[in-house]
Amino acid sequence: MKKQFKKGIVLLLAATMVLSSVGCSKKKNDNNSKENQTVTTEATETDAATTEATDTEQTGEATPGWQEHADEKVDFTWYINFSWFTTPWGENLVSKKITEETGCNIEFIVPAGNEAEKLNSLIASDTLPDILTIGWYEGQVNQIIEDGMVYALDELAKEYDPYWFTVADEGRVGWFTKEDGHIYGYPNSSFSPADYEKYDNISSNQTFLVRKDIYEAIGSPDMTTPEGFKAAVKAAAEKFPEVNGQPLIPVGAHEFGATGNVSFDQYLCNFLAIPYEKDGQYYDRYTDPELVRWLKTFRELCQDGYLVDDIFIDKRAQMEEKIAQGRYFCMLYQRTDLQDQEKILYANDPDSIYIAVDGPKNSKGDAYTLPGTGINGWCVNMISKNCKNPDRAIQLFSYLMSEHGQHMTWLGVEGETWDYDANGVETMHDDVKELCNTDRTAYDQKYGADSTYWMFQDNAMALKWAQPTPEPLGQMERWTYPYVMTTSQYDISLVADSEEADIKAKIDNEWGVVLPKLLLSGSEEEFDKIWNDFIQKRKDYGLDTLIEKQTELMNEAKGKLGLQ
Amino acid sequence: MADTAMIAKQPKGRHKRKGNFKQRLLNQKYLQIMALLGVLWMLVFNYIPMGGIVIAFKKFKITKTIAEAPWVGLRYFKEFFADDNFVNIMQNTLGISLLKLLIGFPLPIIFALLLNEIRNVKFKKLAQTISYLPHFLSWVVLGGILVTWLSKTGVVNDFLVSAHILKEPVSFLGDPKYFWGLSLISDSWKELGWSAIIYLAAIAGVDQQMYEAATVDGATKMQKILKITLPSITGTIALMLILQISGLLNSNFDQILILKNQINVSRSQVIDTYVYQVGMTMGKYSFATAVGLFKSVIALILLFLANKTSKKCLGRSLY
Repeated sequence: MKKQFKKGIVLLLAATMVLSSVGCSKKKNDNNSKENQTVTTEATETDAATTEATDTEQTGEATPGWQEHADEKVDFTWYINFSWFTTPWGENLVSKKITEETGCNIEFIVPAGNEAEKLNSLIASDTLPDILTIGWYEGQVNQIIEDGMVYALDELAKEYDPYWFTVADEGRVGWFTKEDGHIYGYPNSSFSPADYEKYDNISSNQTFLVRKDIYEAIGSPDMTTPEGFKAAVKAAAEKFPEVNGQPLIPVGAHEFGATGNVSFDQYLCNFLAIPYEKDGQYYDRYTDPELVRWLKTFRELCQDGYLVDDIFIDKRAQMEEKIAQGRYFCMLYQRTDLQDQEKILYANDPDSIYIAVDGPKNSKGDAYTLPGTGINGWCVNMISKNCKNPDRAIQLFSYLMSEHGQHMTWLGVEGETWDYDANGVETMHDDVKELCNTDRTAYDQKYGADSTYWMFQDNAMALKWAQPTPEPLGQMERWTYPYVMTTSQYDISLVADSEEADIKAKIDNEWGVVLPKLLLSGSEEEFDKIWNDFIQKRKDYGLDTLIEKQTELMNEAKGKLGLQ
Repeated sequence: MADTAMIAKQPKGRHKRKGNFKQRLLNQKYLQIMALLGVLWMLVFNYIPMGGIVIAFKKFKITKTIAEAPWVGLRYFKEFFADDNFVNIMQNTLGISLLKLLIGFPLPIIFALLLNEIRNVKFKKLAQTISYLPHFLSWVVLGGILVTWLSKTGVVNDFLVSAHILKEPVSFLGDPKYFWGLSLISDSWKELGWSAIIYLAAIAGVDQQMYEAATVDGATKMQKILKITLPSITGTIALMLILQISGLLNSNFDQILILKNQINVSRSQVIDTYVYQVGMTMGKYSFATAVGLFKSVIALILLFLANKTSKKCLGRSLY
């Protein structure tokens, strides 16, 4: 009995060893024959291309490719470079319907933790999924295009789906076309400068928020000047030292990160209307005297104990909890980032919500310059060379970019979740809208419209059927309308690994260390000393080279947009 | 019995060296298979990946293979030594590690000796269990708890203020000067019980007859600890010390990453977190590898020196 048992174990071990060695050798082969493999797939693709091309010639040019292949099921892996995206495919109405209409089934791949880490390892191991959705600002986007890891969309469209050209927006295609004349990624949330002239309900995400009941209790003071701001913060802290038994946090902010804090640098700059360029040069906004003036104001508040420790230490999880408790009095914050918490506050007490009011202004009292989404939009969608069915992928792209696809992702299935009303405007059914506004998670599980799948969201097109955002979120959105401007020409991204990107990374990291020091410094002299050291350090790092490059890229962008 | 099993002894069982090599191999075939699996595992996960070290000397781009990357010699090493942060990072790494070595290292030994003297079995078990508990919480969880505890309105400040140890609450994580101490205390607290296990095991192996003989000779409890227990576990202590010294440039990555923030970064940035920040999040793999390699070489030298010293002074060594 015992002996038999022993033998069994040995056999098992031996089997494991054999299996594992097989696994190893297979992996090795994979690596060795990587190049061979790419060659063979390319060969088969060209075969497919020829047959495919004849097909299109027969059926005529602008027939949507997706309509022809709905019966042939195909699976795609789709990489989303955001760890917070967790809605699966195939469980709600919209995703089921899209699979039914196009024959494409999708499996999302989402990083579990740090996005850069995941994306870099996918690139390094050459295991990029079929379709990629990555923020346009990520350095890796240029890298994978330059190294030929993704297909040119226009070439794919020419071969497999000419319909793509009829649904692609010309302005966006022109903007994203690279020097070689090809476009590799199609954007979402993209607004061209022309859109800004056409629509007056384009919003910005950046707001100055105050807790409504506290703000009104201290007499809705003017907070646009340093003096008014300080007085209001002090009055609020004096009158409401505690919120639900816990200390009030008079001034809130975004999380302090390795490269600074958007509340105290970028957003504050935009509120103070600091220009992006000066005398034809890309402007170094963080050194503007207007920003320094306000940073000194915050330093004083900090010295008097109104910038409490929490804001320097808290990570996102703690902040979200504190917003939901209404612990902050005021903050420069992304309004879309606290939607869920705002709904909680609204349900508890409609007076305890955050509302957008006029925040810090520069010494001349200029109107705010809040950036809306520009031509770059938010993400770019690409098809990787690892994709076995690039023909079907480009057809899926066309589907999602078309008005039909936009209806699907924004409104859902016609007749089931929305219909045209008497004026011919697309309108969501009331019960569906109600669920969307009250229980977003349940809504996503059941319907999955309203841009649950936002990878191709065309916000400019969606304005056609946009309904005013309901309270409590509507007030914050509407407040931004008059101040929104397009900053497309300044949205530039440096090539990862380049000398300039290196300089920028060093300066940004230094800023991340210096900013809290500035705010926490004990006196104005100390502030000035830290500030001057920082200015010197940036020069040493090579700031001038960086600005030169940025100016060059800015002028290039202007040329492309026809602004100059 | 003074020799514990942990320390390499002379190859034992010399008498077994009978028969030729093949015969012996055949006799031990089951053992050999099991050992081979371990060796294989080491090869695949520890030795083959080591080839990647070459990127420390190359300008590696993630979109290209390692072979394609151009050689750049010691460029990244020079860059690291010339880095503004170099001195600061080394100070923090060595400062925290030395603190942990000088204070954190003897604590579990003392704790094990104390535990060993407890005669009430139930209380001993209870003390042991309680001291192990924090070990089983990951730093991610424990870190979140600590951040709350250590804030100005947290329990630690509440206690210290109400006990009149502090006049005003202190922001422990918001002031760089507290970071080294915090990292030492929290690490010791979390791992005290767990690290004591190995010493308890060594103490359990001490021959009881020696204690009986000492009792007959009229030795006090303190004398027994100092003259019997401690000398008997010197081997284990030496081994642990050598390992600890070789890890001098290692910091507790999880712990420091979690407790670090932008205010205390001047005292909390250590080699490991810097490698993570530069390599993983900024994508400078060659630079990060160079820093990692530098660390490993220092660790190897330290291990060698510590082992040699131990061999000379105590007559015991790892190899």
